[in-house]
Amino acid sequence: MAKAASGRSRRIRHESELDMLPVMNLFCCIIPFLLLSASFLEITVIGMSGTEGVTSGGAGATANLMRSEEDRLQPKIIITEEEMFIGTAAGTIHVSYSFQEQRDTNDDGVYDTQVTNFHWDSLAMKVEEAHKVLSEAYPQITFRKIVILTVEETRYESIIKAIDIAAVAGFDQPGLQVAPSASVASAMGSPR
Amino acid sequence: MSAPSKRRVPLLLGSGKSKAVSRAGDRKAVLNLTSMIDMFTILVVFLLMSYSAEGALVTISDALTLPKAHSEQGIQMKLEIQVNRQVIVVDGDPIVAVDAAILSTGGSIPALVTRLKDHMEYARNVRGTITEEEMKINIQGDQEIPALLLQRVMASCSEAGFMSQNLAVIKVEGNGEEE
Repeated sequence: MAKAASGRSRRIRHESELDMLPVMNLFCCIIPFLLLSASFLEITVIGMSGTEGVTSGGAGATANLMRSEEDRLQPKIIITEEEMFIGTAAGTIHVSYSFQEQRDTNDDGVYDTQVTNFHWDSLAMKVEEAHKVLSEAYPQITFRKIVILTVEETRYESIIKAIDIAAVAGFDQPGLQVAPSASVASAMGSPR
Repeated sequence: MSAPSKRRVPLLLGSGKSKAVSRAGDRKAVLNLTSMIDMFTILVVFLLMSYSAEGALVTISDALTLPKAHSEQGIQMKLEIQVNRQVIVVDGDPIVAVDAAILSTGGSIPALVTRLKDHMEYARNVRGTITEEEMKINIQGDQEIPALLLQRVMASCSEAGFMSQNLAVIKVEGNGEEE
């Protein structure tokens, strides 16, 4: 036993080394290639339903919503400078007041731009509720259409945000109506 | 003039010895590559995940910032309109300058309608017919543009025959983090 043990101890140990350099060479080729072909921003699109542009006259903000039962019942997200509403067949519900937000639009660390924003969580809640109520009241209709009715000065970002929230709630066929403030106010008074 | 010294410089990794003999004699300094391999592996996996075999279908102008949304609908190669607070660009050509006159009234923009109709007419002449796919258009709008300008652009598209309009956005995941 002792002899065998001493024999093992005399053996020369060869440490096996894994040669990493070919792997490094491979990585050095792969990484620049992947960096060049990687896309870090994914661009997608939002398909719009036929836009119902309201002219300066502005009287027809809701005139085209009577085409069918679904059209008659389709809700509207109404965005004004001061407030946001959601209008359904049941009436118009206040969603959020606007507020001013300081933004760093130039990415220079200075928050020097003031933009109008809204409480979008409230809209998400109200739109989901509207979709649920409409789907339960009219189970034969699949509610997918929604109209964003807004004043002329509303920022595009706010419109997209409203469309996005509506799509998440199930209204994935948005339409856009733009009207002067007075027309929007009259549309709020007579929701369809 | 003396000739440059002929130092042997390894051109590729692995062409030289992996163990450098130190001046002290038989002591060998071993470069430990394990941590670097780990880092490269993570980097390769990350890049493979964001690898795009299709490439970029659209080119986003530096002059505009697209809004963000959760939309999953992929973008297709269509006629592009880029709208920012200074100019409206169709297929790379500046068409209309955005000024007070443009933002003072509603309806379509005549110069834009003409340009879009020309494009439609050209497509009709080349192919003999206009398919539904060719009636689609992508609108890249800066997040700061007013609703009126967007509505005028969309009305112009409709008037020119582009009945299906897609608004380009940057896809976000979850609570608004860019993908």
